[in-house]
Amino acid sequence: MVKVDNLIKNYGDFRLNVSLEIPDGTVTGIVGKNGAGKSTTIKAILGLIRPDGGSVTINGKEASKLTGDEKASLGAALSDSGFSTYLCIEDVIAILRKMYPTFDESFFRRNCESQRLSFHKKIKDFSTGMRAKLRVLVAISHKADLLIMDEPTAGLDVEARNEILDLLRQYLLEHEQCSILITSHISTDLEGLCDDIYLIHDGKIILHEDTDTILSNYAILKVDENTYRQIDKNYLLSTKRDSFGYTCFTSEKQYYAENYPGIVIENGNIDDLILMMTGGK
Amino acid sequence: MRGLIEKDLRLTLVRKQTLLIFLVMALFMSVSMDGSFIIGYLTMLSTIIAIGTISYDEYDNGFPFLMTLPFARKTYVIEKYIFSFLIAAAAWCVGTILFFIVNVIRHNTMNPAEELPVLIAILPALYLAAAFMIPLQLKYGAEKSRIILFILFGLIAVAITGSKTVMTGSKNPLAGLAKLLDSLSPWAVLSAIVAICFLISLICCLWSIKIVENKEY
Repeated sequence: MVKVDNLIKNYGDFRLNVSLEIPDGTVTGIVGKNGAGKSTTIKAILGLIRPDGGSVTINGKEASKLTGDEKASLGAALSDSGFSTYLCIEDVIAILRKMYPTFDESFFRRNCESQRLSFHKKIKDFSTGMRAKLRVLVAISHKADLLIMDEPTAGLDVEARNEILDLLRQYLLEHEQCSILITSHISTDLEGLCDDIYLIHDGKIILHEDTDTILSNYAILKVDENTYRQIDKNYLLSTKRDSFGYTCFTSEKQYYAENYPGIVIENGNIDDLILMMTGGK
Repeated sequence: MRGLIEKDLRLTLVRKQTLLIFLVMALFMSVSMDGSFIIGYLTMLSTIIAIGTISYDEYDNGFPFLMTLPFARKTYVIEKYIFSFLIAAAAWCVGTILFFIVNVIRHNTMNPAEELPVLIAILPALYLAAAFMIPLQLKYGAEKSRIILFILFGLIAVAITGSKTVMTGSKNPLAGLAKLLDSLSPWAVLSAIVAICFLISLICCLWSIKIVENKEY
């Protein structure tokens, strides 16, 4: 289990102050705009940066003090960092074989072949999609109990994104107790994968909710000025004025559907959540 | 540790053409030049190549991912010291073998018991360069550390020139030390050099560990 307890990190004017938990066997997503603090949170969990306050623990141990053996149960795929691009996959296999006692070479080779990744080409000659696939394959090749994925699908086309998500789904099927922490800009990636979602904005967690709840209970209400004046605003999380009237975001879709049958209600999704919760007034 | 050594070996072999050119140059030098220059040349070169693996680790923002792999940060530093020593020792062996072969071919009379301590001393003395370069590179990165190293070498050159003036002066403060060293056996002097170099390398290694443990990636 990962526990981030009042983690504080300051970078000039930016202040990250977050708390979150990833229980065993769950897939947790972190969403938010660029610069919201997603990658900083991931780095703190991986022990790559030192918190200015609070703590980050993995199975009860301070993340920055994990031993090599403890880190072996962790699989990380970072958006902008990986093995030296001067190496080829054959080199990576030889290194992983010696790094991880649990490295599943046949799984890794099989998946590299099925993803059409060349074994002898240098990584620097790989396309963006191929590099992303390799990063995810490296993370899932040694039976890790905790996968930490920072934007694993960033900059990829639909096909490559789906292939990466399929790899993760397959891994989850085979390792039921595995936990995943994933950040992404692409909401559909998270909707189909995550059990719960944290929304981070300006360094703070502004919402934590089960994905199913977001998809079933959250909604966008489109109302004109007259209706807006009349409706119950207690369950509105955010409101934005637009040319039509008002766009409101609620976590009580059913309440408004039953009590205000005339208003336009659109099912909410994670994109709406980000837009309305971080940009509304 | 084994995984890190494997990584560094493979990163070193990325430059196998360059290594081959250096080896061919070393062969020509060993034939055309007298003395043990070839041993120092190969040892120094291999040390620089071994330290170059830090640049490969750093290149393209590689450090954050590297530090998620299953080893402690201090293991990374210790491996760099071990790896550069192994590479330097291997190059020293090649250089020494070449040196002896060339001397045998030239029918030079040599007393290995006298020559060997001097030749062995080259290895720890040049390894000191690696011991200094590792913390510099870890702290300042490849580019800045190179500038700092040039400045350091410049200061050393000035210090040597200055010390020559002092040594040749009427009151040589190091005369006593020189006399003491002359009176010792070559093996005793070698032991002292090894001990001093080991101690300095250890201090540099501890400094490097501190740098890496305090660093954010």
